[in-house]
Amino acid sequence: MEFVGDVVNWFLSAENWSGPAGIPNRVWEHVQISVIATGLAAVIALPPALWLGHFRRGGFLAVAVVNIGRAVPSFAIMALFLPISIRLGLGLGFWPTLLALFALALPPIFTNTYTAVRDVDPALVEAGRGMGMRERQLLWTIEAPMASPVIVAALRVSAVQVVATAPLAALVAWGGLGRYIIDGFAVRDNVRVLAGGILVAVLSVGTELLLGALERRIVPRGLSRATEQVVPPAHG
Amino acid sequence: MRKNRNGFLGAILVVVLALLLTACGSGEETGDNGTETTSGEGVTETTSGTETTAGEEMVDGPTITIGSANFSENALVAEIYAQVLETAGYPVERNLNVGNREIYAAALEDGGLDLVPEYVGSALSYLGGTPTADSAATAQALADAWADAGIAVLDPAPAQDKNGIVVREDTAGELGLTTVSDLAGHNDLIFGGPPECPEREFCMIGLQDVYGLDFAEFKPLDAGGALTVAALEGDEIQVALLFTSDGVIAAKGFVLLEDDQGLQPAENLTPVIRQEIVDAYGDDLVAALNGVSAELTTEELSEMNRRIGIDGEDPEQVAADWIADNL
Repeated sequence: MEFVGDVVNWFLSAENWSGPAGIPNRVWEHVQISVIATGLAAVIALPPALWLGHFRRGGFLAVAVVNIGRAVPSFAIMALFLPISIRLGLGLGFWPTLLALFALALPPIFTNTYTAVRDVDPALVEAGRGMGMRERQLLWTIEAPMASPVIVAALRVSAVQVVATAPLAALVAWGGLGRYIIDGFAVRDNVRVLAGGILVAVLSVGTELLLGALERRIVPRGLSRATEQVVPPAHG
Repeated sequence: MRKNRNGFLGAILVVVLALLLTACGSGEETGDNGTETTSGEGVTETTSGTETTAGEEMVDGPTITIGSANFSENALVAEIYAQVLETAGYPVERNLNVGNREIYAAALEDGGLDLVPEYVGSALSYLGGTPTADSAATAQALADAWADAGIAVLDPAPAQDKNGIVVREDTAGELGLTTVSDLAGHNDLIFGGPPECPEREFCMIGLQDVYGLDFAEFKPLDAGGALTVAALEGDEIQVALLFTSDGVIAAKGFVLLEDDQGLQPAENLTPVIRQEIVDAYGDDLVAALNGVSAELTTEELSEMNRRIGIDGEDPEQVAADWIADNL
């Protein structure tokens, strides 16, 4: 019980809320890398996934390639890229972690988008063709909206996974909420470790809720959530 | 409903399998006569590297769990202790690379570990004492400090490994650095070291208080390991904390700045062991470990570090070679 009291006190003490090592700054760093990683993954994954899904070809190969990001653990990607990053003058913490998180975020977004677009009811696509729609119109007015529940859900799942994995950045001298966990562990300050863990969990849940709300705005009201078949990312 | 039940049963099966697999993976086997050992990752392996003296009686008694800190030099010395004791017939279990001092010292005090190689100065400081550059006095003070917790401190070796403040050759040339004091006034340098450095008296705290240094930034990396070396080489940091017996300093052409204000205390390597193990086995065990300490010099330690860190040789082999040459 005393330990719980210590953790509560840690959150209540003013010094943990100010300065570069304070909670607001660490949360900001954490959000920064998570948003960039997920955003980058979305920007790079969505166009090819939508396109290949529409033409219903090349998927198997593309998914296999993209799944490398799932097969290689995030930590290994970071470690492998680190010497390259240093040699390229890109520094220690940010870029290796970004690459690892990007590789983690990519597979769910790509795979689910491709699958969802490909699996849109062919009758609808036929009807569109019959009405004289061009390929791009079919994609934007029929397939993408129909697939949007799954696509947005995949983005949500990906973002939450990235937020939960971003503490890895602290292992390579970067910031974020992982700093509390790694530094606390180094000096055996279990209060700090747990506080860091709680913050990561809260941020992950917060991301889930925020993007869930966004999902409700974007997805057309007529489509039900029952069409959701999101393939979750593997744990790095 | 049948679909739900299958899913539910499937989930239970997965959970049970996962539990079984983790139990298998972490299981440590302690053979009765100590020929089975486990490495830090929990993989069981027979000790093929040591010589078994034919006809030697296996010594009966509690298993000696040998641990080490999470850097290669400490794991190497622990490996030397392990091989020496195994050859002498003691039941030994390895649990190397446990973590930093907070973790392994706590394990030592509560019985999770029985024997670790320690550095007299840093250990004494950790316990709240004041170490000096006098090896014998510091070792004695450490023994006194740990006696109440039931930990015995054996004879210190001549070999020392201190915290070393290191810069690249070009930095030293540019700023004219030969001693740590020369760093004063250069406030735009980035310092890299282990994450616990800001809270350590012989690291950041000492550098600030004794030398008056003020770095632009501190980057938490690892304990004098590959990450710190890579960061220094790649100019991500300009000043690094490495260990004085690390062969990489010479190999990479780094400059070890002289500790002119004597911040770093005596850091002789010494076996630190639970009193109950000493009581169980008596003088022979103590003599075996003191025999190792008597022969271990800083030059030999540096050479072994170089073989492991630079040449990439196997620590078990390097340890066995040293034992064959010196004992």
